[in-house]
Amino acid sequence: MLFREIVIAGCGNPLYGDDGFGPAVVEELQKLQLPDNVKVVDAGLGAPHFLFTLMEDAEVPVKKLIIIDIADFGANPGDVTKLRPEDLPPGAYRDAHSWDLSEPLQRLKDIIDITIIGCQPKRVASHEFELGLTEEVEEAIPKTVRIVLEEIGVEYGAAINHQGTHLWASPGETTGDAGKKPGEQA
Amino acid sequence: MSKVVEISPTTRHEGHSKLVLKVNDDGIIERGDWLSITPVRGVEKLAIGKTMEQVPKIASRVCGICPIAHTLAGVEAMEASIGCEIPEDAKLLRYILQCANRMHSHAIHNILSLPDMYLPGTDVKINPFTKEEPVRSVALRIQRLREIGQTIGEIVGGEAIHPSNPRVGGMYKNITPRAKAKIYDLAKESRVLAQEQMEFMIAIFRNYQKRDWAEVGGVEVPIPKDLGYHNQGYMATAPVYGSSSLDETPMWFPERFTEVRPWDWYMGEVEIDEADPNYPIGGTTPVGTKAWPQMEACTGVPLYDGQPVEVGPRARQAIFKNYDEKGTIGLQIARQMEFPETAYGIIDALDALDTSGSVLADEIPQGDGSLGWAANEAPRGTDVHLAKVKDGRVQYYGMLVPTTWNFPTCSRALTGAPWRLAEVVMRGYDPCVSCATHMLVIDEDKRLVAQKLIQ
Repeated sequence: MLFREIVIAGCGNPLYGDDGFGPAVVEELQKLQLPDNVKVVDAGLGAPHFLFTLMEDAEVPVKKLIIIDIADFGANPGDVTKLRPEDLPPGAYRDAHSWDLSEPLQRLKDIIDITIIGCQPKRVASHEFELGLTEEVEEAIPKTVRIVLEEIGVEYGAAINHQGTHLWASPGETTGDAGKKPGEQA
Repeated sequence: MSKVVEISPTTRHEGHSKLVLKVNDDGIIERGDWLSITPVRGVEKLAIGKTMEQVPKIASRVCGICPIAHTLAGVEAMEASIGCEIPEDAKLLRYILQCANRMHSHAIHNILSLPDMYLPGTDVKINPFTKEEPVRSVALRIQRLREIGQTIGEIVGGEAIHPSNPRVGGMYKNITPRAKAKIYDLAKESRVLAQEQMEFMIAIFRNYQKRDWAEVGGVEVPIPKDLGYHNQGYMATAPVYGSSSLDETPMWFPERFTEVRPWDWYMGEVEIDEADPNYPIGGTTPVGTKAWPQMEACTGVPLYDGQPVEVGPRARQAIFKNYDEKGTIGLQIARQMEFPETAYGIIDALDALDTSGSVLADEIPQGDGSLGWAANEAPRGTDVHLAKVKDGRVQYYGMLVPTTWNFPTCSRALTGAPWRLAEVVMRGYDPCVSCATHMLVIDEDKRLVAQKLIQ
């Protein structure tokens, strides 16, 4: 089944620094046990034509679409915002294959409930590839996961707050990186 | 006295490219340059020092349209370098993935090509998004073919867009008997749809070929009978899948490949002295603007036997099936002819697949730094990746992607066409420009490729 009732798509390219935010959030979401009607997709760069243009006539109708991406909304790096398709500038998620420069989300928004969760990036490489998120954007991942779960009505907060090295770890504890003892505060 | 027209950016394909065209007084192209203006990004540099498992994953992210081709070519380039033979069932799974990807890609390209075409017997251009018949059912069929291709790709590849199942040494997991049954059902459904779609599209293209004119931006343009003809050769490594340096009879020859800089191949600085503000979409570049293709082009120019070559559906059909129709319509029809094969290919591979068979090689060598290459016949043509792996780490990595091969060839094919049809010729190649960008300049004495490939 290509789609389910709720689709969560992480968009962006990990080869461009903070642009890898969407796929990184998806990686976290995929570790969780989510309801059967939810599908989490690492959309990479292909969301417009691999997902959005296929949703209109999909075998299983999509009711809710949540897009996770970086967005420049003039905030501090790592800040997260919720957007609707109406807030998007022209050209966002334009399908490379669209023949009249139409925007698939603008066509979808009347039949699917669409939410875009945007994180303010710090560094997006422009010419040369570079791997890895900046610290600020990395820290926005758990927050974003919580927002997504709230959107789809899943109570998972406690589990996410306690992804430490042991059951009684407190939030923010390190997993024992080199040079630090497990349990030491970051 | 020739004039210069520039169409920038070109539309209905991935990435950014432009056409710089020298035209005569009748608007016929005397020399056309089609070039990528997507900035260079240097995946080759990024790959050095990474593990051989990481690099195909990185390659898959180079482009939003061809992740499957890049994953398979990347993984197989690593396997070719370390000398790792994978089990038969893993090969079959990759073959299914390849066919599913091609089914989706050719179907989406139909949406891209249709707006240039006419409903037979009328002067009405086709709008693939209309809710009216007869186009609506065609659009739904295209969508269903895409959905089937993507669904099969997801089952076999692990994920629908960036496949996670292929790995160095084979595949992470075989599919279950239930998944196999599901793919069977989908492939059987697509068999009928693919046949119908092929016949429909061929009829549409033949109709265009019979027409005398096409309307572009309010101007009636004569359609030449030799639209998109060129005299360059073809390059293809297999009818469906590909080839690698591990093959008994490799089908690609690194020693025949060279690359020149855009400086040596594209035209020098020119000034635009003809423009049409009504040209879709948003008009052509205004008069007085400067263009400098040899400085602006972001790709190297790959040559095979010292010449640009065409890769893609027609190259595969010409080399393996004696197909001989030239021109843009010939290329489009060759693409449609690959449709049924995608469905039958999946069915044949499923018949041969043992779902309880091993899909991972017993032993995965870590490599001694030998050069290996793998060519994957992506929907757009031959996608060649070259790699050297030593002790599990990548020492050298290069990607020669399909559209990079087609840039100079298509530029040659523009000659003789009315400039307003230049994009029709270009779209025939199903361009994917974003990943066509790379800079791999081989030193004069070809040290890289002159080495013995298999130690």
